[in-house]
Amino acid sequence: MKNNFKFITELIKLRLSHIMTFRLGFFAPFFINTSYFLVQLFAFEAIYGHVDNIRGWGHGEILIFIGTFSLIDTLNMIICFFGVISIPEKIQTGELDLYLTKPVNPLLRITFEKVNPGSIPLLVFSACIIVYGVKESNMSLSYTNIIGYLCLVFLMTILYYDLELLIRCFAFFVFSINNLMKIENTATDLCLKIPGIAFSGIYKFIFYCALPYGVIATLPTQAFIGVLSVKGLIFGVAIVCIFTFIALSFWTYGVHRYESASS
Amino acid sequence: MKKYIEVARAYMKAQLVWRLDTLVDVILAVAKILFAWILWSILFEGKEQIAGLGFQAMISYYIVSSYLFQLEKSAEISQQMAGMLRNGTFSKYMVIPVQTQGYFVAMEAGKIAFSAVIGFFVTFLWFYLFRIPFLFTTDRKILLCGIIMVVLGLLFMALLNYFLGILTLKFEEISTFLMIKDNLSAFVTGAVIPLVLLPEWLIAGVRFLPFYYVTYLPSMLLIGKCEDEAITGLFVLSVWCIVFIVLNQATYEHYRIKYDGAGI
Repeated sequence: MKNNFKFITELIKLRLSHIMTFRLGFFAPFFINTSYFLVQLFAFEAIYGHVDNIRGWGHGEILIFIGTFSLIDTLNMIICFFGVISIPEKIQTGELDLYLTKPVNPLLRITFEKVNPGSIPLLVFSACIIVYGVKESNMSLSYTNIIGYLCLVFLMTILYYDLELLIRCFAFFVFSINNLMKIENTATDLCLKIPGIAFSGIYKFIFYCALPYGVIATLPTQAFIGVLSVKGLIFGVAIVCIFTFIALSFWTYGVHRYESASS
Repeated sequence: MKKYIEVARAYMKAQLVWRLDTLVDVILAVAKILFAWILWSILFEGKEQIAGLGFQAMISYYIVSSYLFQLEKSAEISQQMAGMLRNGTFSKYMVIPVQTQGYFVAMEAGKIAFSAVIGFFVTFLWFYLFRIPFLFTTDRKILLCGIIMVVLGLLFMALLNYFLGILTLKFEEISTFLMIKDNLSAFVTGAVIPLVLLPEWLIAGVRFLPFYYVTYLPSMLLIGKCEDEAITGLFVLSVWCIVFIVLNQATYEHYRIKYDGAGI
């Protein structure tokens, strides 16, 4: 464990010195994320400018929801996104060999080797939206709610990572995963615009259990506004554990099946 | 013209090699429609209309706009050009006896032609299978205006992406611009949400830009809305296309001397 931390620290140092060499590259993710973020914000304002509330959540709660989704997405972007999205290419070109033959956990290295500090300002934007949402809804916050919220944001960041990894691991078995990534993008876009509480029936099953993008920002928001039940909390923890187990098992299985560039 | 038709034909044949991929692409465009159905059926609860559109009109809009959005593949032009200019393989387009702009537009037309046909039938099939209530204009003139606008819109996007591709000669690394362009264009063309949901002052401003006429207005015309904007739309979009044809030619002539065939 201690060695892993040392290794991650070294990876981050290497990454920082690398990206500082290409300064525009350092800020590029910030501009890209900001444009994406502004688009989503405009879309949100455009939709909810015509809708007063959605299953009991008013404008303030929805703003907290959007801010939370953005916060989790940004954390993902800073820590592991650029590493995880490179997995299919590494598999197809055989570059994964270089990772498998090193005496460190290959997944650990891939996950943390491309940290992206250029997205850090977006954390501030996300926090601003959440604060604005709190003001809009006139709610009183308690320390328990804030701690519960932060814990769930942490757990949901892991879940987001699991889903990203799971989809990219299909590259071990098929030639192109572009279409799977399109499904991922469409599902993320949908769940960014609509809170999980709005789903019912088969859709609730899909977005809570099969492709749990629906819980990613919903559960932390529920904890924040103080409406998350114990059952909901247990469900959140369970879904993270299950998907982490599935993603890691799938990765391990994929690595066993991997036959270098010819696979 | 014959040369460009040959180019388009060659790329259309190339699409046939990847026909399953194209089919999956089209089927996945339906995922977007289904997700729009979920979103709007929740938002429409207890409401007859949102921004002047009923539920049926909203879903019809998403069906048409998703079809048009999946047709638009011109982002590949700028990516392809940027890659080839950087690694020095762009020379092959400079030595053939066609204009590069015309070549890339013909290439785009060839790629679109195949997926347009498949997409049309698949979308029709989805309508039938899911019994989706669909609104469609019955006015032939408006239908014709909508179809011409779709063609002009696709042409404009191809020209825009060609222009961005040429910028590689000036800026060397344009992937950041391209990603920002992708993010913004999905929104301003109306592929994310119908632009009618935006504030009136913003719509008034967007009307001067070509993006308004690429996906949003043709989709609205085809579902029988905004009919009074059809002629103005055709005029504005034609002007933008002419501007970009001239701009692209001038920019290419200006910057092509920077290319040395050995990569940047």
